[in-house]
Amino acid sequence: MNTNEISAEKTAPKLHSVKKSRNSGKIIIYILLGLGAVLMIFPFLWMLLTSFKTNAQAMQVPPTFFPTQWNFDSYAKALESLPFGNLYLNTGLMIVFRVLTTAAFCSMAGFAFAKLKFKGRNLLFSLILIQMMLPSQIFIIPQFQMLASLGLTNTIFALVFPGIVSAFGTFFLRQTYMGIPDELIEAAYLDGANTWQVFTKICFPLTKTALAAISIFTAVFAYTDLMWPLIANTDLNMMTLTSGLSTLNGQFTTNYPVLMAGSLLSMLPMVALYLVFQKQFIEGIAATGGK
Amino acid sequence: MNSEAKWGYGLVAPTIIGLLILNIWPFIQTLILSFTNAKKFGSYDFVGLTNYVRMFQSTEFWQATWNSIYFCILTVPVGIILALLLAVFLNSKIKGKVVFRAIYFLPMVVAPVAVAMVWKWMFNSNYGIINDVLGLHIDWLTNPHLAIVSCAVVSIWSSVGYDAVLLLSGLQNVPKTLYEAADLDGATKIQQFFHVTLPMVSPTLFMVIIMRLMSSLKVYDIMYMMISESNPALLDTQSLMYLFYRESFVIGSKGYGSAIVVWTVVLIGIVTALQFWGQKKWVNYDV
Amino acid sequence: MKRLWKTIIVSALVLLTVFAVSGCGTTDENADTGGTTTLTFRIWDTAQKDGMEKIAQAYMEKNPNIKIEVQVTSWDEYWTKLEAGVTSGTAPDIFWMHPNEILEYADAGILADCSSIVDESHYSDNSINLASGSDGTLYGVPKDKDTVGLVYNKELFDAAGVSYPNADWTWDDLTAASEKIYDTTGKYGFMAYADEQLGYWNFVYQAGGYIVDTEAQKAGFEDEATKEALEFYINLQKNDWCPDQNYFAQTSPGDTFFSGNGAMFLEGDWNILSECENNPEMNGKWDVAVLPKCPNPVRGDGRASVSNGLCNATTADGKHKEEAMDFLEFLGSEEAQRIQGESGAAIPAYIGLEQTWVDVFKEKNYDIDVENFIEMFDYAVTSPIDKSRPSWKTAVNAQLLKIYSGSQTYEEGLQNMQDLVDQAMVGY
Repeated sequence: MNTNEISAEKTAPKLHSVKKSRNSGKIIIYILLGLGAVLMIFPFLWMLLTSFKTNAQAMQVPPTFFPTQWNFDSYAKALESLPFGNLYLNTGLMIVFRVLTTAAFCSMAGFAFAKLKFKGRNLLFSLILIQMMLPSQIFIIPQFQMLASLGLTNTIFALVFPGIVSAFGTFFLRQTYMGIPDELIEAAYLDGANTWQVFTKICFPLTKTALAAISIFTAVFAYTDLMWPLIANTDLNMMTLTSGLSTLNGQFTTNYPVLMAGSLLSMLPMVALYLVFQKQFIEGIAATGGK
Repeated sequence: MNSEAKWGYGLVAPTIIGLLILNIWPFIQTLILSFTNAKKFGSYDFVGLTNYVRMFQSTEFWQATWNSIYFCILTVPVGIILALLLAVFLNSKIKGKVVFRAIYFLPMVVAPVAVAMVWKWMFNSNYGIINDVLGLHIDWLTNPHLAIVSCAVVSIWSSVGYDAVLLLSGLQNVPKTLYEAADLDGATKIQQFFHVTLPMVSPTLFMVIIMRLMSSLKVYDIMYMMISESNPALLDTQSLMYLFYRESFVIGSKGYGSAIVVWTVVLIGIVTALQFWGQKKWVNYDV
Repeated sequence: MKRLWKTIIVSALVLLTVFAVSGCGTTDENADTGGTTTLTFRIWDTAQKDGMEKIAQAYMEKNPNIKIEVQVTSWDEYWTKLEAGVTSGTAPDIFWMHPNEILEYADAGILADCSSIVDESHYSDNSINLASGSDGTLYGVPKDKDTVGLVYNKELFDAAGVSYPNADWTWDDLTAASEKIYDTTGKYGFMAYADEQLGYWNFVYQAGGYIVDTEAQKAGFEDEATKEALEFYINLQKNDWCPDQNYFAQTSPGDTFFSGNGAMFLEGDWNILSECENNPEMNGKWDVAVLPKCPNPVRGDGRASVSNGLCNATTADGKHKEEAMDFLEFLGSEEAQRIQGESGAAIPAYIGLEQTWVDVFKEKNYDIDVENFIEMFDYAVTSPIDKSRPSWKTAVNAQLLKIYSGSQTYEEGLQNMQDLVDQAMVGY
């Protein structure tokens, strides 16, 4: 018997017990994730079931879980009341433009703040921090007035306008760029690269995951923004999904099933978008084992 | 100016200019407005510090300040821990990751109007499903002590998936080699978490904490939609920004409302400064 | 260096593309293309959109060079948006105006004088008052008028063996019926929500009291009749058959009623049609009666129903003022008012056309006695609006809630409410 076989025998039992604890660890993870998932999904189930009830049944006491009669009218009504085609389009365009501009500008600024030295860098960065501290309600009226004076209210540009730059995105990407080893950059300079090449060829490609995260963040923020589209655009056809949906809230009476149906209809594209996005970046990188 | 500096200024220019125009300038306007007795349609008279004096003497204001801080205490630690756990789980070798991620992502893509409506209905003390299942009659939304907790639950529910996505991106930049080395050293998963994962993800974690703290101090939407004007728990729940909304848009005292905003920003500034000072102790930037 | 310029150019191009491509989505609101003027008509009630569009249609047929776009902005954002529009010169051409806001707008000179385009003989004093500024000038064209009625669930009444509310009902009948219904069915009786227009204001005026006296610059909370009425209304909550304000903060009387859990509540006529449409299974099972009268009023005959009314207005310096004024005049004409009534949107302010609104319910086979709303115009009371109201409305409500929760006595509360309002009115 050679030494390898002996050691193989010796290590075999140890591997077995390690594997066992790994499995029980995994089971715990599955259970916890499963419980959490139920909590996450329950309100949506409620929304879904409510959308199939009549208005009276939606508010019954004691609350009924399943509708006694499956009523599909609410979806028809929701589709009638809102120009979903336009709402999807506007929301989509708003998100795409905002994501493009923030990805570009935040990467540039994030790289510069993290890796370049220039006078007043910290002062300028503090502007980023200050912006993050400001509540968004105070931006609405001044931004509206700026657009009004340019005659650009009620446009897609109006929807994109507040989101062209992102302080949070800059902050996040700066953190990411700071995590890139200086040695890599120095090596690139030694090879004769200039700053732009260092940025685009060396650093930028290393931030894919962060970019994906920021893009999702930007998309979600844009999607859920309620007040701005309502103030900046006046035509229902120029609204976004979220703001268009809020118009279903009558001044005094709300038809709950219709509102639920409308909400679910407006969620679908975002979920689809996420699934696509997720596969592209997060899954891809995880498969290659990270860095 | 050398080339590096030129690049520095050039690359940050679009963002800085954008922020100045879109955000900093409106804040300056708000600041100015806080020293005025702002009337409708843009006219105003300067009144110096009157708004601030009134503000600091108002119990409702101090209550709102405490409410905002309390809301942070309720949402940030729990929310971040849950998000971190979630991110770690979703990063591990389990099956069904795509499905789980999609599920946890759902709260991020549903319109706030619908979220509030559903949760408000679930929390309804007379007809809601939560009381029905528990067999109790708890005033989730009208009890002055509970209402803010209910809002916190909704806030955590809405944001845990969000924060987990950001943390996940940080986790995935942790080299697998570090874990392999730890495995060989015989470290348990839990030990690995505290000695490998946490330090490596600390830059991202730091940033998520800052972001979550800022959002919680600025909370408004959730409370506006779940706690109405006629709710007896209003004063014990309303955040500074909800108070701002009521003062500026319902009551019409825009000058006073602006003072509240300025105070909120100062408060957030203090909290953030503390965070930045503290980061040297635990955030690890070495790779 | 070249690279730096390249970055700047790239950034500029990105912005430009955003600008250009999204600019394609522009709808120039007041585009004058080849002689057609487009006017924007902004409203807040999505249920009335059809009605308003029909009126616009009728006008456009007579005036082919005008195009009118009806825009709905929900109530929550309506006033913020209008104010922002007015200050930035992008206000809509014609818009609905509410008595809550008209005084501020009119007194600041924002609204155009409408005295020359309205024939006051067709409108009640109420309607004219609610469309006027503090100086007594008409700043809007009266649009509709409303009253508050008592909505009741016939099935619950039948189950309890109580006869339906009728014109002779008093406050005592209200409480007696509520008790009986609760005892037999376990459902709520009259749901006394601490709302103003759909709540205690009616009771106050029925007792002969008042809320504000604009001329005397004071509130009416110290008035004997007001105090009696408020005490009665607040005490209703003490009964088992009436939900408390905790309940109402989460569930509205309407929702409770339409899920069959409450027998009666106060409702305005403007909601009835959409309630019929949203709850078809209840058709024939509910009805509306005139408000019960006060059995021993301090003044008057015990009858009152708070009446509000919207008006249509335009800005005094709008880009298309002439055309807007012309459309406004049309909005006040018999034809437009008739179309409004026939669409079921609201009761036309124009005297004599109330029946058009009533007929809509018959046409749609909604079995409900909406004539009762019309009958109450005989003793309708103008909604007590004062310029200072936005500044004290929430504070007064807060005091009221304190009385309800028992954290202050009703004498203390009323005193506080009086002081609050008096001080605020002086400030204006």
